[in-house]
Amino acid sequence: MCFLGNHQETNKVSVLKQNVSLLRRQNQALAAQILQVPGGTLAIQPAKSGMPTALVNSRYIHSAMILFREAERWAEQRIKDCQTGETIVVLGVGLLYHVQALRQKLSQDHVIMVVVPDLSEFADCVSARSLEGWGERVMWVAGSIVDMVARVIQQAKRVRILSYEPAVMVHHDTYEHFTLQLRDRLAQQLSGTLHIMVVGPIYGGSLPVARYVVNALEALGHRVSWVDHSPHEAGYRNLETIRDTRLRLTVQQRLSDTLGVISLAHVAEDPPDLVLALSQAPLSMAVLEQMRRKKVLTAMWFVENFRHLTYWQQMVTGYDFWFVMQQESCLDAFRKAGASHVSYLPLAADPAIHQPMTLTPQERYEFGAEVGFLGAGYRNRRQILPSLVGHGWTFKLWGNEWDNPGALVTVLQRGGARIDTPTSVKIFNATSININLHSYTGEGFDPEGDGVNPRTFELASCGAFQVVDARTLLPALFDESMMAVIKRPDELLSSVQTFLHEPARRLAMAESSRKRVLEAHTYEHRMKTLLGAVGLACPDRLGAILQGERHGESLISRSGACPELIPMLQQFPSTDRVELVDVAKTIRQKGPEAKLNREELLILMMDEYRQEKRDFL
Amino acid sequence: MSRALLIQLARLGDLVQSLPVLTSLHSVHPEQALDLLCPSPLVSLGELFPCVDRVYPWKGEKWHELATTKKTNCDQRLVQAKRYLSECAFPTYSLAYNLNNHPRGILAAHLLSDRVVGPGENGPLKPTLPAWAGYLRQIAQDRGKNRVHLTDAFCGLCQVLPPSDIPYLKAPEVQLPLELERIVNGQSSMIVGIVLGAGDADRRIPLSVWQDLIVACAERIPQCYLFIIGGEGEREAALALEHNLPAKYVNRVVNGCGRTSLPQLVGILNRCRWVVGSDTGPLHLGAMCGARVIGWYFSRARVHETGPYGIGHYVWQHESGQPRESRDDHGARTERSSSDHWPIMETVNLMREEQVDSIKAEWDLWTSHRDEWGAFYTRDDKPDEAVLRRKDTWAALSQLTNRDFQMEISR
Repeated sequence: MCFLGNHQETNKVSVLKQNVSLLRRQNQALAAQILQVPGGTLAIQPAKSGMPTALVNSRYIHSAMILFREAERWAEQRIKDCQTGETIVVLGVGLLYHVQALRQKLSQDHVIMVVVPDLSEFADCVSARSLEGWGERVMWVAGSIVDMVARVIQQAKRVRILSYEPAVMVHHDTYEHFTLQLRDRLAQQLSGTLHIMVVGPIYGGSLPVARYVVNALEALGHRVSWVDHSPHEAGYRNLETIRDTRLRLTVQQRLSDTLGVISLAHVAEDPPDLVLALSQAPLSMAVLEQMRRKKVLTAMWFVENFRHLTYWQQMVTGYDFWFVMQQESCLDAFRKAGASHVSYLPLAADPAIHQPMTLTPQERYEFGAEVGFLGAGYRNRRQILPSLVGHGWTFKLWGNEWDNPGALVTVLQRGGARIDTPTSVKIFNATSININLHSYTGEGFDPEGDGVNPRTFELASCGAFQVVDARTLLPALFDESMMAVIKRPDELLSSVQTFLHEPARRLAMAESSRKRVLEAHTYEHRMKTLLGAVGLACPDRLGAILQGERHGESLISRSGACPELIPMLQQFPSTDRVELVDVAKTIRQKGPEAKLNREELLILMMDEYRQEKRDFL
Repeated sequence: MSRALLIQLARLGDLVQSLPVLTSLHSVHPEQALDLLCPSPLVSLGELFPCVDRVYPWKGEKWHELATTKKTNCDQRLVQAKRYLSECAFPTYSLAYNLNNHPRGILAAHLLSDRVVGPGENGPLKPTLPAWAGYLRQIAQDRGKNRVHLTDAFCGLCQVLPPSDIPYLKAPEVQLPLELERIVNGQSSMIVGIVLGAGDADRRIPLSVWQDLIVACAERIPQCYLFIIGGEGEREAALALEHNLPAKYVNRVVNGCGRTSLPQLVGILNRCRWVVGSDTGPLHLGAMCGARVIGWYFSRARVHETGPYGIGHYVWQHESGQPRESRDDHGARTERSSSDHWPIMETVNLMREEQVDSIKAEWDLWTSHRDEWGAFYTRDDKPDEAVLRRKDTWAALSQLTNRDFQMEISR
């Protein structure tokens, strides 16, 4: 191993020359670029041992004391998870001690790709440390994020990302964009199918989202088991007749716990690859811990405002993956609370449900209005919406929780009854201007308003025109050519006045918003993204399945070590996922007179143990 | 030398009750080496069986891991299973005797031998049961007037008659924990084994009943020591039992729960004159170690099928299945008047070799005997008609098996 022991300029030039020559053999463009950049990102200084270490903004990227030991420890911990057939993508450059250790410890079958987000940092590194002896067995990936992602996709079928955090922090945003783009690109290539158990709430806003998620996953070809707790709503609500608050809360908690155990029983009966819970799903920490003991992966799509509903803080370590509808501050809060994987996943629409429709004259009469609002009577809405009453247009207010409506009493429809989804779609379609105000318990607009509500996507998916209050995350989802965005409550009236007289513009904007939904904001898109993230984090479990590695044809192509399995696998359609249970079933179908070979007996034996559930509950 | 394997993958009690069939097989086929396959936690007991050449562990947890690990495809699972089986280094068997009528036993038999006797002998997927296995299933379902003991039915399954002499397990040369050693081997007094736990919750005897029995023994049998037998799972119950005993009896009780290995337990049971308990593995082990056994049989336990094997054992059989008394949170019954509902004093009298009325409340007393057709139990020492019909049962079931066995039966 060659190493630069001092910082004399001559040595530096010689190491650089040697490294550039080595890089040129693999990537000529990168080698040329290295010579062009000035460097200076890393402050190089000798560690106690005399070897070079590096600092950025006065923070050490490598230890000042035990460079190699630290790198070896990092590599040792990570290679435990690395599986055959995976391409290792390393994030974090620094002085590459960690990559050198990884290359030396990992079998040569593994391809290692190092993402180089900044040539200046890389130039500093290759001027200070020689790559000779290991650097030629590493693929250096540089360029724009799109190029780097393309290079990884081109090279790798199954990717495992390893992050060297001290160096990742130097270019945190670039690495995050890289990871998100890689996730999305990999998600586009998914061909395998999973068994996913969706656990919904007993009732509430996330219940319809659970239904849309089930539809989307099924449409993507996955096998879905829906643990629907909504049939228990009547029983749960009936407990509200218990007047003593402590008693009521206790029995409600007990019922919720029981529903969690029922979910666990479903998992035991037909173990899924992934349990996907929606917010308010009655899964307690005890149930989640048991699922983890049984090696069941769990994910939660938390479709609530994390500032308003805070029970996630107690549950955060229970789920393996969290998906949230807010960014930055939300992601930070979840990470600080202990979430190992948390990702932004905005809400969406189901175009099979939220769609343009032709209404009958009677429906148009009942639901039609020039201006309309559908939603619960939150404080900000009670304060803002009266400004729309008493003008020359028809205004209809739909939804529940509008007790004591005040000035809104004349426009409130159906006496403030709850509106179901099919009716809401008719209302959206029958209303010229749909008002969409995000809920807020204060006055006006939520000053921290970031996440975008499902109504925004649903209205757009219906091809309905909407006036919506500004949210910081809205521009990344829809632009202002698709809906009217108001930044202050007092802009509502003028916006309605403007658009009421521009039907053609409204139609064009609504059509563009629907187009955007179909392109990027359906629940199918979201589920692809979610599974891409889970697959990327668990390449050897879900990642491999999603890449189709358990399809019959894929298994046949890799059955070299077990050729006896090939005739059994050939009985399945080539693109069907084949598991032990499926093979065992075909063996049993051979009938009572069948003589079984050793491999068939072994498969049946394992299948017997697979069915064991005695310590699940 | 040909080699045969006997497969017994069930629990402790079933393994203990397999000792006679192993003895019979060994005496009928002395030229054939006989190995045993049993659950890995029971291997150290199997190694004490005198007629067994080698004992192989069956690691259920390993098979479970192979079957359920999330990271492997079915081809990788198969490769790993083949590798694991070859690491087990089983020899080639000319014959496997399978005593378990469940798929794991049947599959294990076919994996390890081309020829199988017992459940699965007609093929691994064939649902037809051999005559003796069908008989056992029928008994389990309709609970008819069966008098063929399970231990003897194991012999029938393997196409041999019950052994001429009852086999016993000798005390192995193992060191006991020092505090147990002093009590078990240091005194000439009578030791009574108390089998505290049971695999199934519905066969557990309430702590209050044990407490009353211990007090009665301590008061009425001078110089007797009571050795509490149980595993790790019974430690807490044993401590509670000790705690609730009147102080003057505490030094008459030795708590061995979770403190002995199976060979050590065999050593201790060899020193017990009596062992009392419900239908559990350690109770049967006590009988095989030469202790006299008094069983309290209730719930699904039936004296004629699984009474302690041998001569001179007693079983109190509850007539309706479940003795009265309610349970507390720990499965223990709470009422204190145990003697009204449980044959406590009568059991003590049996140990004192005194005359005992064979009917006590809802309990009937049965005594064990043995003849050439195996073990049987009688009330008042009079074999009933069902006992006498055992010969016909053997003849009928054996007609369906091989000719040598038929000749042996008719002889």
